[in-house]
Amino acid sequence: MATRFDPDKDSAPRLQSYDIPFPDESMVVLDGLNYIKAHVDGTLSYRWSCRMGICGSCGMMVNGTPKLTCNAFLRDYWPKPVIVEPLSNFPIIRDLVIDMEDFMHKLKSIKPWIIRKQEIPLGAGEHRQTTSQIDDFRQFSQCINCMLCYAACPVYGLNDEFLGPAAIALARRYNLDSRDQGLKERLPVIADSEGIWECSFVGECSVVCPKGVDPAKAIQQTKLDTTMRFLLPYGNREP
Amino acid sequence: MPAAWWTRKRHYLLYFVREFTALPMALWLLWFLVEIKRAGAGSAGYVPHSSIAFVIFSVICLLFALYHSVTFLSLAGVILHPKVMGRPVPPRLVVLAMFGQWAVASIVIGAVLIGFAR
Repeated sequence: MATRFDPDKDSAPRLQSYDIPFPDESMVVLDGLNYIKAHVDGTLSYRWSCRMGICGSCGMMVNGTPKLTCNAFLRDYWPKPVIVEPLSNFPIIRDLVIDMEDFMHKLKSIKPWIIRKQEIPLGAGEHRQTTSQIDDFRQFSQCINCMLCYAACPVYGLNDEFLGPAAIALARRYNLDSRDQGLKERLPVIADSEGIWECSFVGECSVVCPKGVDPAKAIQQTKLDTTMRFLLPYGNREP
Repeated sequence: MPAAWWTRKRHYLLYFVREFTALPMALWLLWFLVEIKRAGAGSAGYVPHSSIAFVIFSVICLLFALYHSVTFLSLAGVILHPKVMGRPVPPRLVVLAMFGQWAVASIVIGAVLIGFAR
């Protein structure tokens, strides 16, 4: 079953049932959607691209749980029906396509790029990092912006002003990067009342993350670091 | 979000119970304040142990407090990320250290209270 919603015709989303063949155990939910699109109903709308769990565009609710549909095997659900719905907590544009505008705005607000106060000239060579310095942020750099964590987060569901798990995890990724000097530019956003302090540590964001990023850990550690910066002498020093 | 969102998944339910445990603990503390106030009127007024309702409520609150403490301390391994000699301490060791400190603090506070009672 898949959600159908045409904003020009429907007042609310509805579920449409489809029967598809299941000839191959390697078939994923996305394959099922592609079969429907190609052979049953060409009007079904959904996002997808790489089919390899890299691009993060095919995230949907599969039987109530946020999943990358390219990584959700039908064999794990068969013979029960599979219900595919758009990601929770986001406005629906059409069928299984959600409006990502809010997330894109939040992502941009934390400046997810390396900020330097003064660029080192190219001739001076590369920014060198030890393996230990890379290990500090490597986990958080695996985020593919699939937004499954937002769909799993009841805090975001109750208050869409919340900055959200992925944005904070990415902010931490850059704040922990030894090449970055942008902590003070990101702090007003992440330490805002709608930032880290809105999180009540449900932890489901880390459970559903397909890349093992652990945004809940990023948020709680940022809370601790921010508090220590406030409490300790010279804690508010330049990064 | 529907009002019963926390019943949809076991993870949500456990989170909700964890957060809810703070409520009976707060109520117990309020009740305890009332008992202290009664004690201010003299030893005759302070008889909380003879109140079955208070004992039952305290036992229930103790269970909630234990659940809250265990879940809270278990999460310490996620939150704290100390380094020793430049190497991160494994989360399990952090959690173990937290439970160790909890046990020591409980023994010390228990000994002090028993000492005062005597």
